[in-house]
Amino acid sequence: MTVDWQQVLARHSFIEGDALERATALLDPNSIRVLCGPFDRIESPWLEPQGIVPQADDGVVIARGTLDGRPAVIASIEQGFQGGGTGEVSGAKISHALRLAADDNRAGLPTAAVLLFETGGVRLQEANLGLNAVAEICSAVLDLRPMAPVIGVVAGEVGSFGGMSIAAALCTRLIITPQGRIGLNGPAVIEQEGGVGEFDSSDRALIWSIDGGEQRAAIGLADKLVADDRDLIRAAVVDAVAAGVPPAGSHRSERVDALGSRLASFDPRNPPAPQDLRRLWGSTFEAHDGARPATATASSAPRGRGRRWLAALAGTEPVAVIPSVLRADTADATYLAVVPDPQNPFHRARNGEVGLTESWALAVAIDDVIGSGTKRAIVAVVDLPSQAYGRIEEMAGLHHAIATTTDAYHRARNAGHPTVAIVVGHALSGGFLAHGLQAQQILALDDPGVEIHAMHKSAAARITLRTVAELDELAKTIVPLSYHVRDWAQLGFCDGLLPVSDADDPTADDISAVRKAVDAAIGAARSGPRDLSNRLESPGALTNRKASRAIRDAMSAQWRATETP
Amino acid sequence: MQTLTYRFPATQNTRRPTHIGVVASGDLEVLLDTSQDGDVAEVRVRTSVDGFDTIWHATLERFFTHTPLAGRWELNDFGATPAVVTLRLRQAAEAATS
Repeated sequence: MTVDWQQVLARHSFIEGDALERATALLDPNSIRVLCGPFDRIESPWLEPQGIVPQADDGVVIARGTLDGRPAVIASIEQGFQGGGTGEVSGAKISHALRLAADDNRAGLPTAAVLLFETGGVRLQEANLGLNAVAEICSAVLDLRPMAPVIGVVAGEVGSFGGMSIAAALCTRLIITPQGRIGLNGPAVIEQEGGVGEFDSSDRALIWSIDGGEQRAAIGLADKLVADDRDLIRAAVVDAVAAGVPPAGSHRSERVDALGSRLASFDPRNPPAPQDLRRLWGSTFEAHDGARPATATASSAPRGRGRRWLAALAGTEPVAVIPSVLRADTADATYLAVVPDPQNPFHRARNGEVGLTESWALAVAIDDVIGSGTKRAIVAVVDLPSQAYGRIEEMAGLHHAIATTTDAYHRARNAGHPTVAIVVGHALSGGFLAHGLQAQQILALDDPGVEIHAMHKSAAARITLRTVAELDELAKTIVPLSYHVRDWAQLGFCDGLLPVSDADDPTADDISAVRKAVDAAIGAARSGPRDLSNRLESPGALTNRKASRAIRDAMSAQWRATETP
Repeated sequence: MQTLTYRFPATQNTRRPTHIGVVASGDLEVLLDTSQDGDVAEVRVRTSVDGFDTIWHATLERFFTHTPLAGRWELNDFGATPAVVTLRLRQAAEAATS
């Protein structure tokens, strides 16, 4: 994009506005009505006990109004407050606004949604509640998207990182500025996890060549590149809403075939430069027959918990979709697991992380189940250390690849396939968002080796400027911070904590008890709601998600009170 | 984090609830709400920086001497300097009385 200095001087910056100013800049004059605003005082209940000053609206502005005459709801994230991090309340505000918009559409009142992403991802001070909030937002975007456009805007300067970028990749259309960035793992986190050789987070040219708005638009991971100007961004949003809902199957995150072709177009052992990717991929999504991403030729996987439980629960030897994604079928269920593959050509995804090809392979397997014409269940067997923290992963858009998996799980759920997750080991961060958190029922083994969290402990401590000992101490009273699965099970999205005598080498009794629990969960998923609303009705939610429920009740009442006649 | 509370005598009335600012680095948000007591400004400060009680008192006393605006004042502070605090208080007062 060439710089037009006249435009730069004359512009009215969008980026410089706070969350309310940004929402106001988009909506028609005098049409804005803020829901669950500062004077409702539904702030995060988790920050003050940690010695962190809360914000009265928890850093998200929900605004209803009209966009060029069309009813819309905007969720605008305040980048200045806690880096735009998604906590329990801020997350519940976004997902509930999307749900209410979906209700209106079902009732024959067309309402579009616009999400202003300015976020570093899950707020690690609210860890597991933030992670779940992101899963619920993704699900709510997907529930609304077939009925009304959900438009994402990444204006900058924080950009969109972490799990919320998965939600951004699920949007009907995504608008970005040259100052905006979008990726799953931020540069500093990759450097911290993989070393400076993997990603030099002080190299701004490198960061923008990978995550920057121009690059994302050039490779088709954003739809429109717009300069930082309120009028231009508003016009782009109005156009994106007016363009309506594209046909089913044509959303970017539904294009499993195109993702496969794109990943097949380069060798991860000799990856292209970001500039070359523009030529290689272009900005459109095309699928080439028979193209498959590079994978190891044979599996030499160590026998970890994921593989062991997959085989045990299905009672059959798993087959490899790719060496790092295993599938085992029973008469009426398909079990899936992501497992370590030491030969993985993507070197940052060798320990069971969910990377690009794992995301694609999961989506392929899920679509295969959907295409089978049965209502067979899908069971995610979860033991994964995280998503893959790598430069190639970010360049190719891991947030988009995981969105493709998320979309597939949601598609399966909506097509009537009961979806269940059983956590047998680690379930961390974006890996769990991809594989597990979209399930209708979530079970976990009651075992000290089971760990469910937004980030592994040493990294979470570093990022929140604490020692591991301080984090452990806080986690004794702040439930969502805890790394103990028994604490996680109190948060309201655990449908069964299953005692076993040996989680590493299960006995016949262990296997039969867990299998029985999985079958019961499949039954519950088959007869229960297809969305994730039951997570707010559980006994755990009554205690530990009071704030989410308060948002739901207050926003529903205010929504009805501000209904356009 | 430290929570401080103050009361200052007041003579003017707050017309409408007003919200200004963001809990961002070097900034603060101010919530000014009407209250039953028409002759007092009740102030609660939550600040991320401990140990500045004296400076808070001096900054607030100076403001409320010039602007004796009654109401419930809630300040959520993320390390704003006294000048920024005074600016936000003035913005809130102006919006609440105009």
